[in-house]
Amino acid sequence: MDCQSLVQKCAAEGYSVVPELEAQEVCQSYGITCPPAALTADKEECLRAAKTMGFPVVIKIFSKQIIHKSDVGGVVTGIKDSDELVKAYDQLMNTVKNKCSQAVIEGVLVQKQMPKGIEVVIGGLQNEQFGPVVMFGMGGIYVEVFKDVSFRLAPLDKEEALRQIKETKVYKLLQGVRGEQSCDIDALCEVIVNTGRLVAALPDIKELDFNPIFCYPDGCCVVDARLVVK
Amino acid sequence: MAEPIIAPIDDFFQPQGVAIIGASAKMGSPNNQIVQFAKQMSLTGKIFPINPKADEIAGLKCYPDLMSVPAVIDLIVIAVGPQNSLAAAQQIKQRRETKGDAGAVAVVTAGFKEMGTAEGEKLQEDLIFTIKSCGARIIGPNCQGVADTYNGINTSFSVPPNTTKGGVTILSQSGAFATSFLRWARDQKLVGINKFVSLGNMADLDFRELLPYMAEDEKTKVIAMYMEGIADARGLFDVAAEVTQKKPIVAIKAGKTALGTNVAQSHTASIAGNNDIYDGAFRQAGIIRAQNVAEFYHTSRVFDKMPLPKGNRICILTVVGGPSTICVDELVGSGEVTLAHLSDDLKENVAKHLASSANIGHPDGYIDMTASVTPQIHTDVLSLLMADDEIDGIIFMTSPPGFLKDEELAAALIEGYQSVPVEKRKPLLSVLMAGNAVSKCRTLMEEAGLPTFEYPDDAARVMVNMVRYAAYRQRNK
Repeated sequence: MDCQSLVQKCAAEGYSVVPELEAQEVCQSYGITCPPAALTADKEECLRAAKTMGFPVVIKIFSKQIIHKSDVGGVVTGIKDSDELVKAYDQLMNTVKNKCSQAVIEGVLVQKQMPKGIEVVIGGLQNEQFGPVVMFGMGGIYVEVFKDVSFRLAPLDKEEALRQIKETKVYKLLQGVRGEQSCDIDALCEVIVNTGRLVAALPDIKELDFNPIFCYPDGCCVVDARLVVK
Repeated sequence: MAEPIIAPIDDFFQPQGVAIIGASAKMGSPNNQIVQFAKQMSLTGKIFPINPKADEIAGLKCYPDLMSVPAVIDLIVIAVGPQNSLAAAQQIKQRRETKGDAGAVAVVTAGFKEMGTAEGEKLQEDLIFTIKSCGARIIGPNCQGVADTYNGINTSFSVPPNTTKGGVTILSQSGAFATSFLRWARDQKLVGINKFVSLGNMADLDFRELLPYMAEDEKTKVIAMYMEGIADARGLFDVAAEVTQKKPIVAIKAGKTALGTNVAQSHTASIAGNNDIYDGAFRQAGIIRAQNVAEFYHTSRVFDKMPLPKGNRICILTVVGGPSTICVDELVGSGEVTLAHLSDDLKENVAKHLASSANIGHPDGYIDMTASVTPQIHTDVLSLLMADDEIDGIIFMTSPPGFLKDEELAAALIEGYQSVPVEKRKPLLSVLMAGNAVSKCRTLMEEAGLPTFEYPDDAARVMVNMVRYAAYRQRNK
């Protein structure tokens, strides 16, 4: 299924936010890297998937009815090996079943836990006056507090993306401070360009957040992709 | 019926004749002032007041309606009350369909969509529909129309007829904002104007058509744009990005504080105020966004008067310490400008002209001549800086000492600036911090094309804007 149809299907099925795996699929087809992830039906499958992608992993409950997963204990992070995974899996299921007895649980999503990097955000939106727009800035949960962001109309090229990055303070962090290695800014520019292509091509996506994106000396990874369809 | 012939935008700026519907004989009224100004600016005298109740207005023969004007009239001003505007539109339609002129219409009248009422909106729709149905084009309604200093056109009641000619073209969503710029600038000849367009409600012509028109307009060197709300901001920026490849656009945007009102489901949408998107879009399109009114005025006029810098290496030449520090702060704080490196040769040559107490190169790029200066010293040192290829721009700063005469100082600086051939010239911004005490000096310099300032930070911001735009042009070559 092409991305356009996939997004429209999610909207038709009543999702306001594209479910994680589909969101990842959309990202991948625009060359945007997300951590390896798999939807698993039971504990054994979950274990196999985790071993294939390698520990540490994160597990998340997968249910249409549960939008704020961490609020109901539906996310466990930092699972280092098989034993921990087995325990975490049981604990996850129990908590969620207690807190959301009505929810239909479709499975558990297992995702490779990425090492911490410099956190940035790349956003996109459809604006009434401007059309598709991309945002770049310092990522994490305090995006709205620090507002260290800059905007561009999409689509845009890599040189423009670099100028966009340079308008923010987080650029200094990306260059490396206090003796840290500098991050792969070129890779980050590519994600901005690809996000620009994505928002320009898929007008059904009204807003999107890639937050956080972890930046490393060799590449970067979109840890959480949130595509809002309505 | 044959398709109407769409009138060219040229009809607004190069009309053979101008008719003013609603011209008034009453001195001191806006509709009388429009006729007076139109007449005073006109190179041909072909101004035709339309008013069935008057025989003569401002010494011009008055006509009862458009049809009875015996000459070609390309530009029509509608200045009647809103309730009579439709009748005026009908006259225009009739005139254009029978005589083929009347292609440009400036609707000065207010009381349309801007009222926010259904009646206002309907009236505007009907008006525009009638005028456009014969192929004529409209500026406004609710505006001051157009002025063109070279072609002697003025449909406003507040653009001074003796406005200095120059290369600045103003496109403004506020008539008052733009005309106050002209009045502020007049006495010391700070700015020279080519065209002026007060856009009003933009029911027909808007930025998207006028920007490319001005890009092609030979006498326009810089476009100064005052913006409020734009429904199709994307369309505007797509067009502007093409225009800035040829000419600078300086913009000031009112309404910074309104945030998007949608209920956001993402960080991005909740943080994305339109003002922030405007910021990014301005930069992306190579438009210089002024953050305040003074910066808007000064940047626009300096783009007209000075060549673009070739790089970002700026030299400070001063006789006053404190204000220069403020200037350096503003320049370097931008992150886009550096102080120029002064070579040993240059420093040695400069030293020959200055007192031993002068500070040459501390910090690098900075020369404090001290107050022991003569006009000749100004000329000599400035000439050296003008000839040095490692300096891309100069900010000169002084609080002119009482012992220097205005005329002598102005002449010395002009001579220093002109000591190199035109193609080697670089921007020189002169800060004369003595207000009206040196107004003669300022006027002489401005007349010679050298921009002057009262405050060092204003000059610094303009220099940063020039460097920024020059870099944009470089990378889009």
